[in-house]
Amino acid sequence: MSGRSSERTAGRLNRILAMLPWVIANPGTTVAEVCQRFGYTREELIGDLELVFVCGLPGYGPGDLMVAYVDEDQVVVDMADYFAAAPRLTPAEALALLSAGLAMLGTGQGSEALESAVHKLNRVLIPEGEEPLTVDLDAEPELVGDLRRAAADGRVVTIDYVSLGRNRRTVRQVEPWLVFTSLGNWYLFGHDHLSGEERIFRIDRIRSLSITDRRFEPPSPIPEPEVRYVPSEEDVHAVIELGPRARWVLDYYPVDVLADDGEVLRVRFSSADPSVAAGLLLRLGADAVLVEGDEVAEALARLREQVLALYEPG
Amino acid sequence: MRRVIERVLNLLAFLLTAGRPVTAEEIRRTVAGYDRSSDEAFRRMFERDKELLRRLGVPLRVEATDAWSVEYGYVVPVDEYRLPDPGLTDEERAALWLAAQVVRVGGGPVGSSAVLKLGGARLTGAVDPVAADLGADAEVLGDLFQAVTERRVVEFDYRGRRRRVHPHGLGHRRGHWYLVGTEGGEVRTFRIDRASDVAVGEEPDAFERDPRVSLKDALRSQPWESGAEPPVRARVRFDPEVAWWAARRLPGVSAGDDQPLEVTLEVTNPEAFIGWVLTFGPRARLLEPPELVDRLVERVRGVA
Repeated sequence: MSGRSSERTAGRLNRILAMLPWVIANPGTTVAEVCQRFGYTREELIGDLELVFVCGLPGYGPGDLMVAYVDEDQVVVDMADYFAAAPRLTPAEALALLSAGLAMLGTGQGSEALESAVHKLNRVLIPEGEEPLTVDLDAEPELVGDLRRAAADGRVVTIDYVSLGRNRRTVRQVEPWLVFTSLGNWYLFGHDHLSGEERIFRIDRIRSLSITDRRFEPPSPIPEPEVRYVPSEEDVHAVIELGPRARWVLDYYPVDVLADDGEVLRVRFSSADPSVAAGLLLRLGADAVLVEGDEVAEALARLREQVLALYEPG
Repeated sequence: MRRVIERVLNLLAFLLTAGRPVTAEEIRRTVAGYDRSSDEAFRRMFERDKELLRRLGVPLRVEATDAWSVEYGYVVPVDEYRLPDPGLTDEERAALWLAAQVVRVGGGPVGSSAVLKLGGARLTGAVDPVAADLGADAEVLGDLFQAVTERRVVEFDYRGRRRRVHPHGLGHRRGHWYLVGTEGGEVRTFRIDRASDVAVGEEPDAFERDPRVSLKDALRSQPWESGAEPPVRARVRFDPEVAWWAARRLPGVSAGDDQPLEVTLEVTNPEAFIGWVLTFGPRARLLEPPELVDRLVERVRGVA
């Protein structure tokens, strides 16, 4: 059995073991109800019921097999009391569900129903008095909420945006397609009127936002946004050696690893503007050494001078 | 697939009703679907079926069939098999389902299979594409979560050493998952994506929870609050061009339009704090305390 087919088998079995208890607890339930609830088509449901009908306890005679069929529009399950409860959640499922709920609540998007659902789940999954899970999405509820509303209503927004690479401030009109978070940052993805292209904007770099009356139709389906640095020919390159305490840079900056001896990490850093690498080097202090890159070296020297000037006596 | 599902349903029905450990041999003779297979074919089938059951969350145990431990057999304890009913309403199920669609952990559909077990959800309309990906390997996270709730010891490789940790909690902060626990009696925080070869201990209730461990303290949302140094109060001034951006990071602080911003913050991790102040370049100035200013200047000169 290959990985994918065993995944399909597990998915189908999971659905059967989840559907049976529900039908047992709700006698007289309809095909439409079960299909909607468990994501079945009518044919799939009938297929699974037929399969259940030939299973049961040893002996496997008429009195040993489960009873499962569709009668007119009702779903009937009998002689299956051992499947009257669904299997408990796996740890991965419990974690996924709770953290999804906590994440939504943390962004201020959770409903009252979600809050009570998370509370009830906590009660059955986690020993009393303990809070072993926190999810902090580091959201900016206000802007995120406004952008989501604009996306849902199909309204163009005007944003006052400070770009990360060039530290340039622009006011631009954007059709907000999607608001999402990845690796700790929130992003707006949409069509940018200024460049005429699809763009991704970091929401923490949006200084202010207004929702206009202009409408737009989002593409269907919305393309998958990819948060990645797109290299360009005009990029400035630098080679930097990172000490052990500066390894975190790998997780947050688009760098190519050139060499790694376990101690010192040698990376190539590319950006549209030398000030990005210079800013990083400034904060890393002695934990990083610039090996190559004249433009970055110049920008770093300038930045150092400016910062040190703040602290000169007198 | 149909044959596998029939066989596994028969196997599970048998184990749930047997009320005693049953040997592999008895299963082979009794459960429909295994009959007429060769020794080797049976072994392979049975291994796969056990794996499938465990994957669905079925607690399949091996126990001695008698007091003399001559033979071992398989048991599914009914109490452990049954999902405790949290008493969710349809509205609550739908809210959970929606949350699981919008927030993914590890990219897998684990949240959806969980909602089905809880009774499914009446779904209407389309759903937003995934809006938050909490990253990480869902299986490893799940194993660690189980270790936390069942108080099992975990071991893993981390920064060049094998660690033995009493896990107290998991937290997601700024794009990463962390495990908070004690190692050799000290409270420690580990970034989970940097841990490898994670092994969860067999014994539940293997340690007492340490009351000093607080997930909130260990995962303070500001990096400069998560250090071990005695707290100092630091005062910083931000120029008008960056004041709004600094204020974004500081709960309860807002910046006036084109006004400079001056704030006082409690710092227990000066290194992280200085790093943050320096991201503003010459547009943020650390005013106090002098020791911290000295450290910042040393960092900028590249000597520390």
